Amino acid sequence: MKEVTVRILENKPIAAGIYKMTFALPEKVGGISCGKFVNISVGDGAHLLRRPIAVCEHCESSVTICYQLKGEGTRLMSGKKAGDTLSCVLPLGNGFSLRGEDKRVALVGGGVGVFPMYSVLKEYEGTGKEFFSYIGFRNKAAVCYAEEFAALSEKAEIVTDDGSFGKKENAVGAFFEDLANAKPDVILSCGPTPMLRALKAGLAERGINIPCYVSLEERMGCGIGACLVCVCKKSGKTENARVCKDGPVFEIGEVEL
Amino acid sequence: MANLKVNICGVELKNPVVAASGTFGFGKEFDEIYDIGVLGGISTKGLTLEPRLGNPTPRIAEGHGVILNAVGLQNPGVDAFLKDDLDFLKSKHIAVIANVAGKTLDDYAGICEKLDGKVDMIELNISCPNVKCGGMAFGIKPESVYEVTKVSKSALKKTPLMVKLSPNVESIAANAAAAQKGGADAISLINTLTGMVVDIERRRPLIANNTGGVSGAGVKPIAVRMVWEACNAVDIPVMGMGGITSAEDALEFIIAGAAAVQVGTANFTDTLAMPKIIDGMNAWLDSHGIADVNQLRGTLRLNG
Repeated sequence: MKEVTVRILENKPIAAGIYKMTFALPEKVGGISCGKFVNISVGDGAHLLRRPIAVCEHCESSVTICYQLKGEGTRLMSGKKAGDTLSCVLPLGNGFSLRGEDKRVALVGGGVGVFPMYSVLKEYEGTGKEFFSYIGFRNKAAVCYAEEFAALSEKAEIVTDDGSFGKKENAVGAFFEDLANAKPDVILSCGPTPMLRALKAGLAERGINIPCYVSLEERMGCGIGACLVCVCKKSGKTENARVCKDGPVFEIGEVEL
Repeated sequence: MANLKVNICGVELKNPVVAASGTFGFGKEFDEIYDIGVLGGISTKGLTLEPRLGNPTPRIAEGHGVILNAVGLQNPGVDAFLKDDLDFLKSKHIAVIANVAGKTLDDYAGICEKLDGKVDMIELNISCPNVKCGGMAFGIKPESVYEVTKVSKSALKKTPLMVKLSPNVESIAANAAAAQKGGADAISLINTLTGMVVDIERRRPLIANNTGGVSGAGVKPIAVRMVWEACNAVDIPVMGMGGITSAEDALEFIIAGAAAVQVGTANFTDTLAMPKIIDGMNAWLDSHGIADVNQLRGTLRLNG
């Protein structure tokens, strides 16, 4: 991980309340991969906490993130223009990784959790793995990356909570409906905690033991593992894990949701 | 290059900039970003006799120019610190200040005994606003500040004792004097101010613990005033902290009387905050023709 100043190449709205920002890296920064995150300073002196945002796409010279306008900090980010600079710590956390035997991969993403799912698709593009993507949004206005998911997945099902785009369903429901077809070797998921909880419960009810990895979200302090602000409980242990440093990706049984 | 070395109750710091407890863990993570050997010292994450899991999440929130935290002293316990973290910190050749907390006087005595002679200094946390029983309870009244300081001091044969004062009190001067009377070799202040942030849609506090400790740039004027008052009340060295973001901020505390400073929240905003403060301090002293940072200490000239 490094503290770097990045230059914004593009920053634009792509759906209701969702912005996509691409920034150029000033130097070669190793270790950026799917499921990791960057920690961005909005740089106005009043907002002292950085905003941790998952990597959506990356190459050697740039990183793309997608973020939801939630409060003042992300609103300030949305006002940045191409050419502006931001202070950024990256790459952070442990991301997703697929083993050689993971041939069929299910991606279950909800809300802003769809973007780290897309980072997996991009990273493993052309490796011969088959992806089955179940992507949920609140409504049609929030839908984005639908074509991108379709282009890189064997099957991509986009659903909305209100049925205004695709089925009226959530990502977890769509996944379980299609489970017999997808027959995944591994399940990767990111989304709101209630969604991950539903995924965990659904797997347990059906007695499914397919390896499953989830990416957690938590309010963070330092973002690098020092301050112990963003913790979750480890299952069956009186011990916490740090979401920023030990995660954000955990094996689903490893942590309490 | 001005001299930045300072001496706090016999402990030499290569410069007066120390990482504040709770923002810097045991140094390993920040050392991945820069060599923490450049620092004057580190005050560790608050240690207790037994491991603690801390409070539920969310543990952090933001206000304008400030943050609030309620981590609740999550830590691996003093034994794990001695086994897993101390050697690393010693290898960095910086002053290792063990921040310690307890629920009872016996806890404080016990943890001080375990650390005596093994670290460069003990910082007594009697001012944590985020744990229900103990912690801040000792830090409010001068009588209990005196008592917990005395008990801790008598458990220490080798290591100097610094007492960290709470700002959530009636008289900071009285509490500073009580710590000195109890045998403190130094004091540090301010710990965080107790605060609350409300989510108006949910009509709930943003922090799971409801209240949290306020820190960051916005608290600095309060901290400088309290450090100045404390410096006037004691003869022992004072480590000042509260909202320090730049070298200029740090120098305000030193002019107000602090021998050294601690930097906390700024590490979140800029992971390189402390090396920048050290460099900036050097540059400021050079540009003002001051050869030694110690010459600046307590040189405040009051108006009127």
